[in-house]
Amino acid sequence: MTTNKHIPPVLELIRDNIIKYGNPLALNHRQNSSWIKDLDLPAKGEILFYTGGEYQLLPYLEPLLKTMTYIDPAGRTFSLLMGARKLVNFIGIAPEKIFAGMLAKDKDRYNSINYKAAYILKKLGYDLCYDAQGEIYSGALLYELGFWQDLQSYAVRVGQAIRKTQAKTVVCLSPHAAEMFKHVYPQFNEFPELEVKTFVELVWEKRDKLSPIPVDSPVVVHDSCRLARDLGISKEIRDILDSVGVSYVEPIRNKEWTTCCGGPGKMLFPEISKIIAKRRVIELTDTGASKALLACPYCLSSLQGGLNPDKPMVIEDLVEFIYRGVNHNVEL
Amino acid sequence: MSNFKKELAEYTKNLNKATQDENLTRAVTRTVKSYRQNVEAAMSQYPHTPALAEEVRTIKDYSMANNKELLERAMQAIESNHGQAFYAEDREAAMNIVKKIVGQGKIIVKGKSMLAEELNLREALQEEGNEVWETDLGEFILQLKNDRPMHILAPSIHVPREQVAEIFSKFFQKEIPADIAEEVSVVREFLREKYFAADVGISGANVVAADTGQIVIIENEGNVRLCTGVPPVHIVIVGIEKLVPTFQDAMKVSEVTWRYANYGAPGYVNIISGPSRTGDIEKVITYGAHGPKEFYVIFVNNGRQAMMSDENYRQALHCLRCGGCMYECPVFQVTAGHYGRTYLSGIGSVWTSFVEGVESAAPMLYTCLRCGRCVERCPMQIDVPKMVGRLRSEVVSD
Ligand code: SF4
Repeated sequence: MTTNKHIPPVLELIRDNIIKYGNPLALNHRQNSSWIKDLDLPAKGEILFYTGGEYQLLPYLEPLLKTMTYIDPAGRTFSLLMGARKLVNFIGIAPEKIFAGMLAKDKDRYNSINYKAAYILKKLGYDLCYDAQGEIYSGALLYELGFWQDLQSYAVRVGQAIRKTQAKTVVCLSPHAAEMFKHVYPQFNEFPELEVKTFVELVWEKRDKLSPIPVDSPVVVHDSCRLARDLGISKEIRDILDSVGVSYVEPIRNKEWTTCCGGPGKMLFPEISKIIAKRRVIELTDTGASKALLACPYCLSSLQGGLNPDKPMVIEDLVEFIYRGVNHNVEL
Repeated sequence: MSNFKKELAEYTKNLNKATQDENLTRAVTRTVKSYRQNVEAAMSQYPHTPALAEEVRTIKDYSMANNKELLERAMQAIESNHGQAFYAEDREAAMNIVKKIVGQGKIIVKGKSMLAEELNLREALQEEGNEVWETDLGEFILQLKNDRPMHILAPSIHVPREQVAEIFSKFFQKEIPADIAEEVSVVREFLREKYFAADVGISGANVVAADTGQIVIIENEGNVRLCTGVPPVHIVIVGIEKLVPTFQDAMKVSEVTWRYANYGAPGYVNIISGPSRTGDIEKVITYGAHGPKEFYVIFVNNGRQAMMSDENYRQALHCLRCGGCMYECPVFQVTAGHYGRTYLSGIGSVWTSFVEGVESAAPMLYTCLRCGRCVERCPMQIDVPKMVGRLRSEVVSD
């Protein structure tokens, strides 16, 4: 492990977890794939369903954040984090034990998004495979936080994991993972050639198969930065809503001008991150809509955390929303 | 705790404190709203602007690749216009030249310049026993408040009129009401005297045309006109990245700069080629007619050459300092210049990495959300998130 005097210890903690456990919070394969339940997904196939373990991380983020937010940044945060780092060195992090504040309902909800996404795609006729034993995190945080040297060897590991599944196409639930596969990893030697799709795109291609979804009032769309700006996907979400007969409104800033949910700042500047989330929630509630839809795990978690109790709004992942529009009677 | 941890903790504390400062949040929110409205109005009135910005990107590409040659040409042109041109490798060299020209015990009036902030110019000249006045109203307020700019175009964005009244009342030793018109007029009166008493005027520059040696300075208040036109000596300090090949190019860069700074047309565009002169008596050219008799231009490197020679970061030098990206930055919107040192926000963290070093820039580099909305706004399409990622990798591998 490198100890760098110019970066905050929490970043090293995340890095070490990714390198050591293939997951930013050191969740293991069992924890990562518990969502799969009755879905019968083979480990090999043409289209790889890729969660990257990202929705699975979300229930741990808020409690972790809470621990960090109320600690004086000038002092104890660092010793706390240094302590956490030592834990990683010796035993790895046992998130359930450390973040006892985690809510079971959050865990169920975020995990079920993986299930629902796979279910929807299967219903739409996609033959998916999923590597419950071998799936590792995309490495997006290594890239974003500057651990580019580590990324060299991590890319090899991700490449091997993908190759093992024999997939030609990878469908990513998180736009952050999609960005890695589409824009970052192709620059590395010997990374397998892949067609990279997001969940949104696959649904969009077969949107005519979805049934109408009844809603009382228009929903508001929140575009994720990665999806809208880096991957250029925003119209697709509107098309999907049109095809299920749902009317929608736009906040003051959206599509390529969308406002960030504040999520990327969570680890280092939790208070600022929260304020940014709250401000984005205001932009969303100002439209008068009572439900916001989005398609990114971090946006989901951040905006959820930025809700104003006096101005209730339901924040839903597009996966959760569309799940209502699939025909549950048709055999999988 | 190590220095870095202390610095980061201090920085974080400041950032968090800034978000709780209601004056700041209110002022920035107002400014962002009017910026967006103004820039939209300016764009619809002058719809050729985005195409012009594209042309400017090409001009900048060429200028960075040929900077050495442009510098030589500009210096020659300035000399042949009867000015004096200098090149300074770093801060120390630049300040030595300025100090030598200025001397001691002088009165200096100064226009707004980011490079002056970078060089700590005012403080350095004051240490030499000079009396230095910031003439941009926002900077004047900050000078009295002993504070630093919170936005590159609106440096005192965080100070409301009530606080200005307090600061002015104390300084002028009389009751100044919290009335903006009165506040403006009391400064006007005070500085007017200083312009005429001043020995030296110092300004920055927005663009320099290499072929004619002409300096372009965009402003609204008219203070730059007075600073550069009244005192007997005018010194321009300018970064080498501001050079473009021709006068025509300089005009294009200028228009794009002010348009993205949310102006249809700014109050004044100053174009200065050399000292003031007249040939009206017997056709004998005499310098220092009404304006300065002496004209100096100091081109400063201070890390820019390194940026220029690295293709990963060269584009950051295209920055016009229009400020647009800051208004669109979600972090800047709640912290203003606390997310910064001399240079602010995402683009500022890239600049800081070169003029002060990545170590100093590290906290800023990690503040960026990499959300990318700045790139949408930027007339030069500077890919700040990408550069921030790469610079983080330098911090980490340090
Ligand atoms: S980075 Fe772009 S938007 Fe920001 S100040 Fe510079 S030119 Fe303007």
